[in-house]
Amino acid sequence: MNVELQINNSVNANARFITWAPSPCRVRVTNPTGAAGPTVTVQLTGLSTAGGGAIMLRKSTTGAFSPSVTLQVPTNGSSVAFFVAGKFGKASVSSGDVKLEAKVGTAIVGSVPLMVRIRKNATKLTTAERDRFIAAFAQLNNQGLGRFQDFRDMHRTQASLNQAHGAAGFLAWHRAYLLDLERELQAIDSAVALHYWRFDQAAPSLFSLDFLGTSDQVGTVSFSPSNPLRFWVIDGIPGINRRPLFNPTQAPGGLRTEAQTLAIGSTYSQFRTMEGDPHGLAHTSFGGSIQTPSTAPKDPLFFLLHCNVDRLWAKWQRQNRRFDPAVAASYQGGVNPLGHNLNDSMWPWNGATTPPRPPIAPGGTLAPSPCTAAPGPQPLVRSCLDFQGSVAAAARMGFDYDDTPLA
Amino acid sequence: MSKKLGPRKRSRRAASKGATKATGRGYLSVMKSGKKSAAERTKAVSAVSPATADDSELASLMAVLTDKTAPIRVRLAALQSLGAARFASPAFASNQGDYIAALRKVVDDPDHELRQRVLGILAREKDGYAQNRLLEGLKNKDKALLPPEKALQLLGYDVHANAYPVAREIVQNPPNQQAKREALRLLAADAASAPMFEKILQDKNESSEIRQIGAAALHALKPDSLQAHARAIVMDPSESDDIKQTCLTALTQFGPPQIGEDKTLMDRVDQLSTRGSAKVQDSARELRAKYKR
Repeated sequence: MNVELQINNSVNANARFITWAPSPCRVRVTNPTGAAGPTVTVQLTGLSTAGGGAIMLRKSTTGAFSPSVTLQVPTNGSSVAFFVAGKFGKASVSSGDVKLEAKVGTAIVGSVPLMVRIRKNATKLTTAERDRFIAAFAQLNNQGLGRFQDFRDMHRTQASLNQAHGAAGFLAWHRAYLLDLERELQAIDSAVALHYWRFDQAAPSLFSLDFLGTSDQVGTVSFSPSNPLRFWVIDGIPGINRRPLFNPTQAPGGLRTEAQTLAIGSTYSQFRTMEGDPHGLAHTSFGGSIQTPSTAPKDPLFFLLHCNVDRLWAKWQRQNRRFDPAVAASYQGGVNPLGHNLNDSMWPWNGATTPPRPPIAPGGTLAPSPCTAAPGPQPLVRSCLDFQGSVAAAARMGFDYDDTPLA
Repeated sequence: MSKKLGPRKRSRRAASKGATKATGRGYLSVMKSGKKSAAERTKAVSAVSPATADDSELASLMAVLTDKTAPIRVRLAALQSLGAARFASPAFASNQGDYIAALRKVVDDPDHELRQRVLGILAREKDGYAQNRLLEGLKNKDKALLPPEKALQLLGYDVHANAYPVAREIVQNPPNQQAKREALRLLAADAASAPMFEKILQDKNESSEIRQIGAAALHALKPDSLQAHARAIVMDPSESDDIKQTCLTALTQFGPPQIGEDKTLMDRVDQLSTRGSAKVQDSARELRAKYKR
């Protein structure tokens, strides 16, 4: 007897990635040999390798998770639904370091490798995680051409910056932007997630030759000979300009800490002021590309900085239950500029090029994921709030943070 | 409002209570007051919330920035707040012209750090005035606002062909190694410089740092050439470990899939994976893991 395990309701090996949010899955009998009746009892269990990820299961959209579930599966090939989620605090470190095993009695009838793929504090990555992350980034950079150039161009002109900054949609726009980039990194290496620079903590291992490089007094960044970021090219110029205006063995000073940021206020209109502090001040704690909006994406650190901004939003959302677009305090009401209202579509993914949208829309639609259909190729602002699918399961965007459990 | 709170905390408390901007504006006069201490003035600067900074707050920050009598730490704090507001304040766009004008006013400031930061911002904003002043300084030392290596780096934010001749001259007669490096980085935007970078990458008399710039520039300008040279360098037993490792990285990360079929190269990589220095061994093993069948 054999069963087929469909993770994220897919047989695609690239869909075998889960987060803290429950992934819809299915099991079906593909070879009923030996079955005695119309159904067979299948026990599904998560098996972790040492130091690897851990998963939990449940039979339906609600209810408690447990390490294993038992299902009655028809032998006629019809499928039965179940749900898998990563066990909070037990993220994977590599693809396949946890597996889902199906047994009938004592016989193993199916198994799939999984990864609890989670965005992590960049200072806490294993060497292998770090190396895969920077290799994927370097390959996406692709001599400053292609898809990375799109990401650079999305955040370049004043018209494009107006779509992303200085108004209510700041957080939603950057959430979509990071997700788009993360999915492109995953197309290069499916085991990679985007990681974050926690700018209220010291991160000496991040600002090191083997990771995002060290800066000399001119502000030119050096890398070790084995670091592929030494081949970083953008706008035709090799290398990265970044000059910390703080001691890089410490955190930058003068920014709101995480606790202060989460205490800004319980409505979105209050919380959004974090665009200035800590977000803006994190940027301006450096000289170099990252210091100015139009050049900031030239430095890969930009994406880790913004990943932390997004993480802070996620934590604030969880703390205040602000996932539901129908709840007024989850977003900023009133009339906002085009692209910043809850029901607006977002440039450039919508392809809109009529003023006040910018005249070009680099990059096309948002990259798809084999793990989830959300937020869709042309996301609306409202599609970016319920990222874990805690209000509507279909809204799950397919990412999570190491320190932000399921709401 | 409690007198025990600092200006930034007072500002946050006011914001959280929904207070209007008309209240508690004392920090604007404090930041500009020559009678207050630098610490008090710096605190007053940080009381401006970058996300909600309005016209008068932005104007006050610019006034502090351009006030040559103000302590430098206060002016640098004002510059940082303006930079943060540039990201976040809806009022910033209508003040952009004044911002650029304020920055231009201080490019000749006697304080090196302020000059460097301001010229960096202007260069990233592709400001023609700043670009001309930087270029002028490269041609005439007496007019230099910044050291040549910094000026070249900043000109790289918006490369114009008129910077190439002076960059080539600096490559030929560099005042220091950093200036040579920055001149080479700038020239990497010039397709006509590819032969020079091929020569640099092959030149064993050059420093590792300069040869590595050559490799990165070729990656952008002529990637096939980088791959060919990287292969030759990996094969060469007399090459330094640093440059060998750089070339192994280039082959591993950016090489064509058929590298694994290059038996001569793979034999050499096998050899390096057991007999090179520890770092070269690691890089060789990485290449091997990716391509070896």
